Amino acid sequence: MIETFITSFKLQNTYRTNSIIYSLKQLPLIKRILPNSLYKNRGLKIFASIISILWEIINIFIGKILYILLMIFMALTWYHTNQADTFIHLFVFLTLAGGVLNTYMLNPTKDKYYAIILMNIDARKYGLSNYYYQLIKLVVGFLPFTILFGMIASVPLWIQIALPFFALAIKLIVMNYSIYDFKKTNKASNENIPTKFVWGFVAVCLVLAYGLPAINIVINQSIFLCVFIISIILGIYSLVKIHNFKDYRRMYKQVLTESNVYMQERKAGTQLIKDTSLKQIELDENYTSNKSGFAYFHDLFVKRHSKILTKAVKKQSVVILGLIIAMIIGISVNDTFKSKTNEILMVYLPYFVFIMYCINRSSSVTQAMFMNCDHSMLTYRIYRTPKVILGIFKERLKTLIKINLLPAVLMGGGLALLLYLSGGTDNPLNYAILFISIIAMSIFFSVHYLVMYYLLQPYNVSTEMKSSTYKVVQGLTYIVCWYMIQIQMPIFSFGIATIVFCIAYCLISLFSAYKYAPKTFKLRV
Amino acid sequence: MKLVVKNLKKNFEKKEVLKDINFEFEKGKIYGLLGRNGAGKTTFFNCLNEDIDINEGEFYIEDNGSKRKMEAEDIGYVLSTPNVPEFLTAREFLKFFIDINKKRIKNEKTIDEYFDFMKIEEEDRDRLLKDYSHGMKNKMQMLVNIIANPNVLLLDEPLTSFDVVVAEEMKQMLREIKKDHIIIFSTHIMELALDLCDEIVILNKGVLEEVDKNNLDNEQFKNKIIEALKEE
Repeated sequence: MIETFITSFKLQNTYRTNSIIYSLKQLPLIKRILPNSLYKNRGLKIFASIISILWEIINIFIGKILYILLMIFMALTWYHTNQADTFIHLFVFLTLAGGVLNTYMLNPTKDKYYAIILMNIDARKYGLSNYYYQLIKLVVGFLPFTILFGMIASVPLWIQIALPFFALAIKLIVMNYSIYDFKKTNKASNENIPTKFVWGFVAVCLVLAYGLPAINIVINQSIFLCVFIISIILGIYSLVKIHNFKDYRRMYKQVLTESNVYMQERKAGTQLIKDTSLKQIELDENYTSNKSGFAYFHDLFVKRHSKILTKAVKKQSVVILGLIIAMIIGISVNDTFKSKTNEILMVYLPYFVFIMYCINRSSSVTQAMFMNCDHSMLTYRIYRTPKVILGIFKERLKTLIKINLLPAVLMGGGLALLLYLSGGTDNPLNYAILFISIIAMSIFFSVHYLVMYYLLQPYNVSTEMKSSTYKVVQGLTYIVCWYMIQIQMPIFSFGIATIVFCIAYCLISLFSAYKYAPKTFKLRV
Repeated sequence: MKLVVKNLKKNFEKKEVLKDINFEFEKGKIYGLLGRNGAGKTTFFNCLNEDIDINEGEFYIEDNGSKRKMEAEDIGYVLSTPNVPEFLTAREFLKFFIDINKKRIKNEKTIDEYFDFMKIEEEDRDRLLKDYSHGMKNKMQMLVNIIANPNVLLLDEPLTSFDVVVAEEMKQMLREIKKDHIIIFSTHIMELALDLCDEIVILNKGVLEEVDKNNLDNEQFKNKIIEALKEE
């Protein structure tokens, strides 16, 4: 088993090293200097593997310190209960929630996929040895910080030391339950798509963790002692069961499917997946179109993907509507709230740039366009003729603006209404400017993402993101929008500036899309 | 009509994949492009299809002695891994393709006639392409490329995913349409190349050269090709 572990560790280290070199090569400018032979450069390899090992070590501690600091230690200040008991209380309930959310073993990661599915390494040996390694990391990572923060919160020393082992026991118990469940149902679930039951359990744990101390109830040290002893006994029992379980291969075959593993990838933002939600195509006899040419093509695309394209927007609209209604109620019952709202609305329009950035769906819609459509169509030369590219571009622009317009209209209208209800403004033009500038922002983001997509088309045929320029533009967009949060400006001046900027930007970028897209819109090789 | 390639060069960083390609492909012939794994066949096709930029050289169409740029409409490229829009049914895909190629299609047929021509069964015509098998997708890809009626057809290992019956039908079909097209056909299967192609062209060490059959019989010709491919 140790051999398997060493092999897997080396494997992991190798592709981490390669990823480091690969990311170096992705940087603009630097990529021109670095040759492909880099991958066999010994010095660089050693350098990259040192970084990779350092990263591994830092990784053990960094998550844990943040977790204890932010989720537990900082929260202590909210409550009037005994500090030490509250510390223990929070740790116990959060550990229960964390236990069911992350078992390590059933997390479909790329290294497991490579090792077990692609390289055919013994699944039991691989799974167990890595599992034990993760558990050791868990205890080692927790221990310094349960001691450190425990000491500050005056938790008894034995409990400071017991807490990491409690977490360990919970992990084991949950894993044993998963195995038991697998034996019974023959179904292993991807833990990154938790069931409703799991979510429910987590929600209950969170409520108990943060709710009970608020009403002055926390578990005391003798209760913890009982819980601890029971979980240690169950934990040891589970460990034996887990260790003796034979059928890991079959279990992993179910967990490590391509879509599960690539979903993981998507979080890292390096690759798009064709997972079920994004690949969803709805075939309905009623979804037909009486248009022709590209309008026909695009119309069918929109109809068959309406769920992916509009689901999020509909949710957003409901939330926005709910918030606005809540604000209206707040304004009508509380006078301070009313005057504050008015004050904030008058100067915080720049903040809404960031909000509009966050709710704009264009980035994922263009991804869906690529994955479900352009990915295959771009291989046809005829699809890349200026006439077709621009024809479809026009149709898409209309759709994209339309999709994003619903929440924007609600938001713009709602804000104008709030402004009016919260005491109004001297200049009635402000209502119109508020409304129009929100709409302008929405249209701006729609145009921005679509034009960027057409000018930089960043994906290759296997849907990997290949353009660092695209990433840089994405990053810049984020930074600029984030920066807007800091700015306070009156509605009138900022609104006018926004509207003018959006119109100018849209004109310029549409012009460049028309001019350059026929050249730039193709598959990356 | 000819497709002329002159001094075409393509490097990936320092690796010269295509060193100096000079060739004239003529209308009415099927060219069998042979090359070892990694020789650059697909790169060559990608260059002609303008999927990637070339480093040096040029390629153009020569028609009645006058030279013109090869336009998108001139070229059809059938990839070995078929790419079809999965959200459309076969019928819708064809309709779209016929719509956007309306001007170029000589004596347009009905959609069902095209399906008949490609021997795609009635019950499959209104199914989503996402539920098509690999081979069926390939058939669709071939069909739309033929409908668009491009002057140059690039076929990258197109027959390997077909069953023997369909492969035979496709060969027959290519022979039928070859008089109006320049067809370049890349393959690893020597028998296929000898059976279907009028000329054998070898891509080796970044250079294209024709292998002359002269008076050799099939066996001798085969050996000559293998020798040429082995050359280091």
